[in-house]
Amino acid sequence: MRKFLKEKTAEQAIQTREQYNLQMHTLGRVFTWLAVGLILLVPIFYCISAKTLPSGMAIVKSLPFLLGYVAIGLIEAFSYAPLLGTSGQYMSFITGNISNLKLPCAINSQNIAKVEKGSEEQEIVTSISIAVSTIVTTVIILIGLIPLIIFQQQIVDLLNPISPYVIPAIFGGLTIVLIAQYYKIAAIPFIACIAICAIGNAIGFGSTLNQSTMVIVGMVISGISTTILYKKNKI
Amino acid sequence: MPKSFAIIYVLGGLIAAAIIAMCVFFIVKSVKRAKVIGMDSKKIKETIKNSAIFSIVPSIPIVIGVGIMMQYLGLAIPWIRLTVIGALQYELIAMDQAQTALNEMGGAYTTETMVATAVVIMTLSIMSGPIFNAIFYKKYQGKLADLQEKNSRLMNTITGALLGGLLAGMLSAILVGGAFTVGNPPEPDASGVITYGEVTLITLAASVVIMALCGVILKVFKQKWIESYALPITILGSLAIAYACVPLFA
Repeated sequence: MRKFLKEKTAEQAIQTREQYNLQMHTLGRVFTWLAVGLILLVPIFYCISAKTLPSGMAIVKSLPFLLGYVAIGLIEAFSYAPLLGTSGQYMSFITGNISNLKLPCAINSQNIAKVEKGSEEQEIVTSISIAVSTIVTTVIILIGLIPLIIFQQQIVDLLNPISPYVIPAIFGGLTIVLIAQYYKIAAIPFIACIAICAIGNAIGFGSTLNQSTMVIVGMVISGISTTILYKKNKI
Repeated sequence: MPKSFAIIYVLGGLIAAAIIAMCVFFIVKSVKRAKVIGMDSKKIKETIKNSAIFSIVPSIPIVIGVGIMMQYLGLAIPWIRLTVIGALQYELIAMDQAQTALNEMGGAYTTETMVATAVVIMTLSIMSGPIFNAIFYKKYQGKLADLQEKNSRLMNTITGALLGGLLAGMLSAILVGGAFTVGNPPEPDASGVITYGEVTLITLAASVVIMALCGVILKVFKQKWIESYALPITILGSLAIAYACVPLFA
């Protein structure tokens, strides 16, 4: 009887998690379409206000560039999904800055809260973390507009020189936190990525192999190497 | 600086309000769910506090990004672009692409035409991610959830692989990119900044050392409070070192 009740409760919990997940999808979809609509209004309203039209020829000339970005967007949406959780995925792809802000913030919170991988607690912590991070960023940008209007050049001159170093500042510390958990998985892709980057830089493709590109390359290599290790029962 | 129209500011306000409303909705739903599953409320409070503290420093370059873009696009458009999906490096490349295409076509064009073209290119190029989510993500996530239920070990391996890959890719780009530009700084990027390899490597090393020190304070001296502040302290400390080092190599 007790076993039956335990199973029944577990079943109810699974159903409730499913229902909660469905709610998150509905909410996420509504806000995504709302954001897409509002974002599309920006060029339309600008053209009406400025009484101008974009150059159709320039847009056609930019098609290869556009298609490249479309592909990057799809790859990112596909590969970040298992890491961001349901609501985190919707929020992150509306507000951007995923690898340099949202994901490190969520990982930091997961580590401090010590949540189990794949658990509902992890989903909740990730969701709250990304939502709070988004609010903070939106408010900081909003507050930052006032000094920017008055002291634009001075602020840019003062702080812009350290902008390229924010990502090393985040990822050095984050690596120390995560290395114990992921060294087995990350070793092969790390060596492969170092080799690709070194060869790329040596033959003059250094600027192409930037942080955004290498994150995707690293994930693909890691996916392949980890699958092999998993099948061989090495991890 | 190009003119910013009042209606674009209104639109920006609506977008910022919609984003904050979305986040509040998700926080409320998550907190309610946490109560249902009996999650410790202390964990929720800690998560809110840690995420807020963590996000302050990495948000500052985004504000600087608005400052850089405003000289080309006015104030309202960069504000909107960097509040939503845009990231500075993508936006600058998109803007440069519009300008290059217009220049290649020859003939004169107005600042308004350049801004309108740039905004259209920026908008179209970042739509694929959210549209994928709105149409396909539910089905895709369903498959991920099925996998989690049937074979949690495999699912955890996949997420581990993605996270390991993210770390490997990011670190390799930082390390090799930094090493190859030591003593040989690249041309300024689209925002006019030169990234010095020496400073990149020093910042990374400083970040590692400061985090390791925080670990020692936590484990050896049993100072539990530092756990919540370790990453923000690390980011601030290593950026302060970067700030001090840039003039040495410039």
